[in-house]
Amino acid sequence: MASKTAAAKDIITLHGSAAIVSEFFCTILYNRAVYPEESFVKVKKYGLPMLLIEDESVKSFMSNLTSQISEWLEAGKLQRVVLVIMSKATGEVLERWNFRIETDDEVVEKGVSREKCDKEIMREIQAIMRQVASSVTYLPCLDETCVFDVLAYTDTDVAVPFTWVESDPKLIANPQMVKLHGFDTKIHKVDTLVSYKNDEWDEEE
Amino acid sequence: MILRTPPPKRLKSDAGGSPISANASGSGNQLVIYEDSPLPAPVPLQTSDDHSDQHLCTYQCRQMVKADLLDAFSKAEKQVQEYQTKLQTLNANFSEADAERKQLRDKFLYSEQELAAAKGREKMLQEQLLMEINNSQERYTKALQSCHELEVKHQNEMNLRKKAESSAATAEEKAKLLEDKLTQLSGSVDREKKRLNNDIAQLGKEAKLSVSRIGADLERMQCRAQNAETESNLLRSQLEQLKLKFDECLHEKTEVDKKLSSFTSQTASSSDNSVLVKHLQEEVKRYEAEVREARKLKSRHVDIELLKVKLLEETSRRERAESGLAELQDLQLSMEKLNSELSSWKSLLNDIPGVSCPDDIVMKFSALQNEVVQSSMKIGEASTRFKQLEVALEAAQLGRQNAETEAASAKEKSEALKTDVKRIEVMLSLVTEEKEQLKAVVNELRKSDSEGSVPGATDGTLIQGFESSLAKKENYLKDLEKDLSELKDVNNRLRSEMELLNEKLVDQARRNKSLERDSDRLRSEISLLESKLGHGDFSAANTRVLRMVNTLGVEDEAKQTIEALQAELQKAKERLQAVEELKNQSGDAGKLVDSHITGKIAQLKEQIATLEKREERYKTVFADRISVFRRACCELFGYKIVMDEHQRPNGIPVTRFTLQSIYAQSDDEKLEFEYESGNTSILNNGYASQGEIAKQIEIFIRKFNSIPAFTANLTMESFNRRTLY
Repeated sequence: MASKTAAAKDIITLHGSAAIVSEFFCTILYNRAVYPEESFVKVKKYGLPMLLIEDESVKSFMSNLTSQISEWLEAGKLQRVVLVIMSKATGEVLERWNFRIETDDEVVEKGVSREKCDKEIMREIQAIMRQVASSVTYLPCLDETCVFDVLAYTDTDVAVPFTWVESDPKLIANPQMVKLHGFDTKIHKVDTLVSYKNDEWDEEE
Repeated sequence: MILRTPPPKRLKSDAGGSPISANASGSGNQLVIYEDSPLPAPVPLQTSDDHSDQHLCTYQCRQMVKADLLDAFSKAEKQVQEYQTKLQTLNANFSEADAERKQLRDKFLYSEQELAAAKGREKMLQEQLLMEINNSQERYTKALQSCHELEVKHQNEMNLRKKAESSAATAEEKAKLLEDKLTQLSGSVDREKKRLNNDIAQLGKEAKLSVSRIGADLERMQCRAQNAETESNLLRSQLEQLKLKFDECLHEKTEVDKKLSSFTSQTASSSDNSVLVKHLQEEVKRYEAEVREARKLKSRHVDIELLKVKLLEETSRRERAESGLAELQDLQLSMEKLNSELSSWKSLLNDIPGVSCPDDIVMKFSALQNEVVQSSMKIGEASTRFKQLEVALEAAQLGRQNAETEAASAKEKSEALKTDVKRIEVMLSLVTEEKEQLKAVVNELRKSDSEGSVPGATDGTLIQGFESSLAKKENYLKDLEKDLSELKDVNNRLRSEMELLNEKLVDQARRNKSLERDSDRLRSEISLLESKLGHGDFSAANTRVLRMVNTLGVEDEAKQTIEALQAELQKAKERLQAVEELKNQSGDAGKLVDSHITGKIAQLKEQIATLEKREERYKTVFADRISVFRRACCELFGYKIVMDEHQRPNGIPVTRFTLQSIYAQSDDEKLEFEYESGNTSILNNGYASQGEIAKQIEIFIRKFNSIPAFTANLTMESFNRRTLY
């Protein structure tokens, strides 16, 4: 019980938001079958069975990502994080999972603490997780082997870290867009949106 | 033949020795040749003593002479030959010279001809030259003239140029001054602009405020105008009443006059008079009661009408507001319905995984998406309607406030009416006073009738009293008329103001409409931009897109190849085992398979070896490149850089750089930096905490945030220390 409340409290911190985003990434990677099912392990978190990746290289990648994102979040320099799923063979962008983050400036600058009902936040996160899981039903099937990339939209005055490089936004031309639930920790407001490649037969219809 | 004079003859005594020696040692040394047939010697040449000595020539002497002669002859022959050859050569030379002479002569003649021709040409040329000289002289003179002119012009130009330069300098100064002024002016213009912008903003605010104030004023003025109109109506009615009263009074007066005249004529009929007076009094009382009632009724009637109008207005407003509220409720209901629809759709979405046909799901989802889009649009429309209704509600509230103000003004009016009533009461009291006076007059008349003395004086006082009351009433009437005219003026002014305000109101309404249109346009733009933003567009001015370097794909590939190789190895091992088993069973068949497997193993080993080699090569190349890079860094920046990876207690990896200057005087002179996610910070060690270094760190790194400046400065200082001292 204590651990549960601690987990809930952990959500409402700057670092917590980054961890949630990387957990979303794991869920997406599982649901979109970017990595095989065997490389995930089931953990209960936020009142839901969560799937976290076990592959060491991806794990280290995710931990580096989390630390960097939390650093940017603490500085209030991060605008959005995008998980791009691309075809391995052609490099074509197939899906873009867009997490737009609005940071409360007062919290970053003055360290003001905000209170929000833990249950409500949990409920919001659960809703997103469920939506991500159910998105498999309408997103086009990924027939080919895919790889993923993480983009971060930051302020221009941010120094580029070693493990990051400047990139193009990897946009999809004429995409289909579905807005998912957002969650608000009173420190960060995260809006989620998935855009994916428009199927050709859809256009013909 | 050459003749030589013989040597002088010696004495016979002295000639004891050999003739050769004597000849040799003889002082004369003259050689004489003796011929077989000597010719007589020339006498004049020889003395008598010498003639004797000539015959003493010996054979040897002859031989010698002969030899000499032969020699001389051969020499002479040689010389002759030489001379002949010389002659021949001279002849040849001569012929050559002659030929040359001829040639030269020809040349001379030719040259003479050429000379003549040249002279002719020279003459021609001289003539030409003369001509040219003349021409050139003329030209020269002309040129000189033009040169003088040009000099003059040049001087003029120079003067002009100087003037122009001076004027340019002055102009430049002026320009500078003007530029300064311009900058000042631009500064002032900017300031003024800012000020004006601020003023404009303030004026805008003020204008808004004044518009709202004017609106309120307008409404107030409308209320006032209405009040004034009603008041004027009231006053008119009062005036009419007063006129009526006045007429009545006049009528009474005439009646009284008549009565007085009749009274004076019929003094005897006092009883009739008393009856008349009583009758009159009764009449007066009746009239007074009637007048009061009439006034009250009129004022109430007017008040009722006004209040009815206001009530109607207020009820219409209330109805409008209520209808707006009803619409709002409807909209809220529709919004709730939409929300419920949305929630039902969402529940459907959650339920959808149970549906069997995936095509239906996709179709459903596309339809759902469309519906969601439509519903969101509806929500947007509803929200716009809601906003419009809110605006209408606000307008209604404003109307209500206006109505309240109107009610307040109505109250004020009622108070004014009360004051009017009071005034009328005062007038009534005045009238009653007059009545009392009249009564008193009547009493006096009665008394005078009873006494029958001095009737004329009392009549006079009565008439005077009536006249004074008449004059008072007239004055009062005039005052009332004046008030009426003033009120009319005020009314007109208020009307004109009202018209102006109405015009302004219309303008404001137009402006509001245009603003609404603008807001609609902006809303559509915002929705477009939001969709773009959702898509992933960004402004390069504010946002930078970074990508985390992802080597997972490459690692994955490597892993896959390793796994494939391992699988192959496993298979090979299994095969090997199988083959060994087979080998045990059958020797020959096993050999073939064995060779095949060994071949494969060799191939795999080769592959492994090549891969290892490649790895080694990569390593060496990397080591080479990195060492070159390090050396280059050291050479270029003067610091040996050592990089270490550390981990903090909280597990965050940190890179540490240790810098040592190539001019360092001891090994302790080391600077340590920590690099963590784009930020480099200096660590405090023994060297860095030294007085001078700490000062520099404070200035360069802490104050100006520049590590390169600090290291460069340190390099220069160490270099100077190493070289200068």
